[in-house]
Amino acid sequence: MSDQPQSEGLAQARRERLGLRLRVMLFFALIAAGIVAALVVGGWLALARLPVEQGAVAGPALVQAAILSGFAALGVVVGVWYLFDANVARAIERLSAAIRARALSDIDADFGREAAGARYLGDLAPAAIAATRALASTRNALAESVQRETTRLAAEKSRLETLLADVPVAVLLCSADHQLAFYNWQAADILGSGEGPGLKRDLLDYLREGPIVHAYQRLAATGDGDSASDLICATVDGGKVLAGRMRVLRRRVADQDPGYVLTLRDVTAELAAQEGRDSLLAEVFEHVRRPAANLQTVIDVLAEYEPTGEVPAAIGAAMLNEVQDLTRAITDLGRRYDQLQAAWRPLAQIRSEDLLDSLSARFGAEALGLTCEGPELILRGDGFQMVALVAGLGDLVASEGLARAFTLRLIEEDGPGALLRLEWEGAALAVSRLERWLDQPLGAQTGDLTGRMILRIHATEVWPETLAPAQPAVPGRHALTLPIPNARRAGRRPAPIRRDVVYDFDLLSKSRSAEVEKTRLEDLTFVVFDTETTGLSPERDELVQIAAVRVVNCRRVMAEVLDTLIDPGRPIPPGSTDVHGITDSMVRGAPGPAEAGARFHRFARGAVLVAHNAPFDLAFLRRHEEAMGLRFDHPVLDTVLLSAVVFGQLEEHSLDALTQRLGITIPEEARHTALGDTVATAEAFLRLVPMLRARGLETFGDILAEVRRHGRLLKDANPQ
Amino acid sequence: MSATPPAKRILVVEDEDNIAIALDYLMMREGYEQKRIATGAGAVDLIRQMRPDLVLLDVMLPEVSGYEICQQVRLDPGLAQVKILMMTARGSAMERRKGLAMGADGFISKPFELKALRTEVRRILAGDAGPEVGSQPADPAAAPHV
Repeated sequence: MSDQPQSEGLAQARRERLGLRLRVMLFFALIAAGIVAALVVGGWLALARLPVEQGAVAGPALVQAAILSGFAALGVVVGVWYLFDANVARAIERLSAAIRARALSDIDADFGREAAGARYLGDLAPAAIAATRALASTRNALAESVQRETTRLAAEKSRLETLLADVPVAVLLCSADHQLAFYNWQAADILGSGEGPGLKRDLLDYLREGPIVHAYQRLAATGDGDSASDLICATVDGGKVLAGRMRVLRRRVADQDPGYVLTLRDVTAELAAQEGRDSLLAEVFEHVRRPAANLQTVIDVLAEYEPTGEVPAAIGAAMLNEVQDLTRAITDLGRRYDQLQAAWRPLAQIRSEDLLDSLSARFGAEALGLTCEGPELILRGDGFQMVALVAGLGDLVASEGLARAFTLRLIEEDGPGALLRLEWEGAALAVSRLERWLDQPLGAQTGDLTGRMILRIHATEVWPETLAPAQPAVPGRHALTLPIPNARRAGRRPAPIRRDVVYDFDLLSKSRSAEVEKTRLEDLTFVVFDTETTGLSPERDELVQIAAVRVVNCRRVMAEVLDTLIDPGRPIPPGSTDVHGITDSMVRGAPGPAEAGARFHRFARGAVLVAHNAPFDLAFLRRHEEAMGLRFDHPVLDTVLLSAVVFGQLEEHSLDALTQRLGITIPEEARHTALGDTVATAEAFLRLVPMLRARGLETFGDILAEVRRHGRLLKDANPQ
Repeated sequence: MSATPPAKRILVVEDEDNIAIALDYLMMREGYEQKRIATGAGAVDLIRQMRPDLVLLDVMLPEVSGYEICQQVRLDPGLAQVKILMMTARGSAMERRKGLAMGADGFISKPFELKALRTEVRRILAGDAGPEVGSQPADPAAAPHV
């Protein structure tokens, strides 16, 4: 039975190979051959029946008649064939090609020319036109519907991403075996000590196992998708204490454990402050109780014996000693309380330039003039509150009729702080008016928030000052001075922080694979990397830059990038600088090869390394293994060898040739930068994967076995 | 025989009677001519009238705060010679800084030892700048006009 479809398939293939017109021509040729054969056989039979003498006479005439009849019949057959070919076979071919084109691609135009040529095919052409119109209409409606839905979903996705990126807590989504499938930038911030987290990375690489595993097991055992568990956990290095909540997702597949959502908040500072306050409170009792109790006794003795005039001098001395102890204790405890107040609040770093810009806008909106002066500093504080406070102070001075034009001067101090001084020319602001204003809510936009609260949050004060006049003729310069306790010089403006969410929800349904060799490529995590060096000798030269990107689920994770310059500890030869553009001054202050290598090692933990000419880059890294205390024993894939597998050894396998062959464009400015080449290599790798799969190379082991056949081209960089 | 220089005059602005009594006694024993006022309301008028060499000024006064009195004194060019020593139980570093920036010549936190108070009073009356005044802003133009 199974042979039947196979034979039908072969017949179909044969028909397609011959083509309709050829088959029609062969059909008419067969008719012509039949007519000729009939004439020959008929003539031969007629001659055979005639007596020999008659045959000799009639024979030539009969042959002549047969030849003429044959030619006439052949002429008719050829004529009919020609008409049939022109009006039927060719028309059918054109019509079917037109139908196929409209069925397989998005051509909507009617096929009028083909239909005109098929006028002898009866209703076939109009029927085909009607069918393709219906198909086009359905397809257009479907495409419009898909487009509409896609646009709506993309907008929803974007809104959700923005929302999740801006929630003030860290949000993580993990599979049952704690692999990360989603994280927002707050999570990257909390978990990232050096390198941030990565998709498909193990959460337990960042957080201590106990509380997470315990909470998951407890929640998974209840099987209730709505229940949540609060937990306190710590980062693996113990540097941060995090308060969080875990909620297990609903089980979607019967035999698969569900993943979970974890929200985390850094409470390290709060706990430390709480601990500090508790300890201070304990010390208050310890230091005050003893002298207070002693003083009570001494005063009792004094009260009892003073009327008798028998109080010894020692009693007075004892009282003095105890009071002095009490004074010292209260002074010391008060100082420590002030320090604690200033230290505990987790305030952000803000750039003075941004603060002054916001204030200029606020003053401008109130039609008040503001000139800003001062160095660029990084201030510790709540930008919104500081703008509200200083703008409010400007409004206050203006509403008192003292000034409408101000200078806002930022003054760097010798210590860790700075002064923000709002100056004007005119009369002074009464401190009593300022004190009253500070106790009032700042405005509708800030709710119940008062200036006094903002000062307390920032552990500071504000006061009016009278300044020395700039010129003797100027009557008076006054200011409101606001110290910022924590400020430092601003360096180069850093790149804007990417407030992304990073996710791949497919990872929730993928289980961890133990053996790399048997793992399918789409289930592996790859780290594609490239280095720039001082020269071409891994023994004598040194690294100057390394870049890496992560590829998870056969997709590049855009937010997970390592890109660092490296100080090679030696001058970079001008010839090398010409290639990669990296100079000695650029690498000054950058980490050394061992430190950068260790950072890369952490970034690539648990991944397969991919590089173009991997032995070269790995030789530089492996030279520092001892200094790092680490081993680069990752599985390795080399895009040179993968290219050889796919395109054959005789082709050129340089990165330029490979990317060109695969239709990948490397921007000129990115070429020969570690990150530019890394991204190009990653793109090439991702395009090679389906080609490898088409050759039946599905797992890492399959590919490894295949590339080892190309050992003549390049050494395999995998640990042997 | 030369005449004895007139005793320095000190005004104590303090609403708490117990400490005011002690301060009165101490100033008298130190040989100063002292006077006390218990509220901030009439303090500036009394200063204008009495022209003391030093005002021992409590910060937390009812009605008019010590900071306000300090500001009014410093804004009056006729009182430029009057020295001010501020006293407060809220003795944070920022309060101290505020007092000195507003024109006080010294700042002492309660509770204080008598020895420290005595030393501070002598220093101010002798016209020494003292360590506190050194905490001026880096910008020379920022120096308070005292």
